[in-house]
Amino acid sequence: MIRVTDLYSGYGKVPILNAVSFEVSEHEMVAIIGPNGAGKSTLLKTIAGLVHPSSGKVVLEDQDVTGLPSYQIVRHGIAYVPEGGRVFPNMTVMDNLRMGAYSNRQTLKEGVLDEVFTLFPRLKERAEKFARTLSGGERQMLAIARGLVSRPKLLMLDEPSLGLAPKLVDEIYEKIRLLKESGLTVLLVEQNTTYALELADRGYVLENGRIFMEGSCAELASSDHVRKAYLGL
Amino acid sequence: MTDTLLQSIITGVLMGFVYALIAVGLSIIYGVMNVVNFAHGDFVMLSMYLSYMAGTLLVWDAVATPLITVPLLFLFGFITYYLLIDKTLRQLYVVQLAVTVGLQIFLRSLALIVWKAQPRALQYSIIQGNIEFFGYSILTSRLIAAVVSLIFIAAIAYFLNKTWAGAAIRAASDDLDTASLMGVNYHRTYALTFAIGAALTAIAGGLLMSFQQTDPQGGMRFGVLSWCVMALAGLGSLPGLIAAGVIVGVAEAVAVTFFDPRSRLLAIYMIFILVLWLKPRGLFGRK
Repeated sequence: MIRVTDLYSGYGKVPILNAVSFEVSEHEMVAIIGPNGAGKSTLLKTIAGLVHPSSGKVVLEDQDVTGLPSYQIVRHGIAYVPEGGRVFPNMTVMDNLRMGAYSNRQTLKEGVLDEVFTLFPRLKERAEKFARTLSGGERQMLAIARGLVSRPKLLMLDEPSLGLAPKLVDEIYEKIRLLKESGLTVLLVEQNTTYALELADRGYVLENGRIFMEGSCAELASSDHVRKAYLGL
Repeated sequence: MTDTLLQSIITGVLMGFVYALIAVGLSIIYGVMNVVNFAHGDFVMLSMYLSYMAGTLLVWDAVATPLITVPLLFLFGFITYYLLIDKTLRQLYVVQLAVTVGLQIFLRSLALIVWKAQPRALQYSIIQGNIEFFGYSILTSRLIAAVVSLIFIAAIAYFLNKTWAGAAIRAASDDLDTASLMGVNYHRTYALTFAIGAALTAIAGGLLMSFQQTDPQGGMRFGVLSWCVMALAGLGSLPGLIAAGVIVGVAEAVAVTFFDPRSRLLAIYMIFILVLWLKPRGLFGRK
């Protein structure tokens, strides 16, 4: 589905990613774990077109999408749910969701809103409320739902558990599990290693802007390095 | 005394709606792209001159001239955005300031060269006379200007809330990066916003020319009063802009009637300063 090769990226003259390569197959869920500041978010932002890569390649289904601006990336079928959700605070929940269909308006006629309301019934109750009035958990759900509205080929989630109470993290991850079971291809970046490795098929460990390890989630979870550094065992 | 006061309040309220229409353009541009267009008042001045030209050359009534000036100002806004503003978005704030102040100087000089220093007015309007309103007389052209301004503010509200392009503008004003992730090409959205802001001054310009004259320095007044209306209203509320426009219009009319005709800018500027002191976020803006 998506193949990233030798990606170098960063802000201005500060390099953050060093020769990062990985891939995600169709219907697969891949987790990228690593410490704070390893470059996890920069990696997703570079793929999404918010940060310009200095070299390397991002290929989505045989199409080279390297360095395209974000408003074109989404048209190729990549939806990026940024860290903290970044909902539009002064728009209603409904308008936020409709903005998700901006690049692919056909989906609204196909009843995509009913689908996301089935997955996130609470959003339906709040449909006419301004997004700024939502709780942290509801914002995260709205952000994921907004990402789904474009019917992406690849959904990229950036720290969906960040700043949420444990009970809400369970709730969000239950939704992500349902999405995975429906066959959606997901690339997940997460500091909450336990959750990420439990749910994903494969994982990569990103440290200091490089891929340090890769393997199935079971392999990673049983490796000494991951157990010590990320699972606190 | 009370009669004169009420008369000037009525005049001020009617003017206030036109001021609100002018400030809507300035406010949308500022709200969406964080650019204070210091040339906004001069867009009004340019619009009035173009109305004057359309009115004299085609022998059209002032209120009909927006049919020509609106597309012209829309195009002017679009081109100005791509030539000047787009390049400054990632630059220092002072660069933007220099560019829009430069545009202001450019437009004033241009008006001075093309139309010379003496004020211009359209001689004839089919809209004549007064309407009696509970014993107070209202200039018909001012009443029409107020009503048409309100209609176009309502049209802008509809556009922002009910169309894809309007949603893109609101989203870009909330969070540019995230709007871009949704597929919003912000260069295009910004250009459209700037063009709409300019086009609104063309409507106001045509309406104003039905009862006022224009001169090359006229942009100063509209600039100051539209910043004042915007500051008074705060960001993100069209009804707030209407209310603020009315406050500024009434203050101006009362100052002109009871103090000195030359005190209009002074009165407007005093309100501006008062707002900055007492309520820096405006009276109606979001928290």
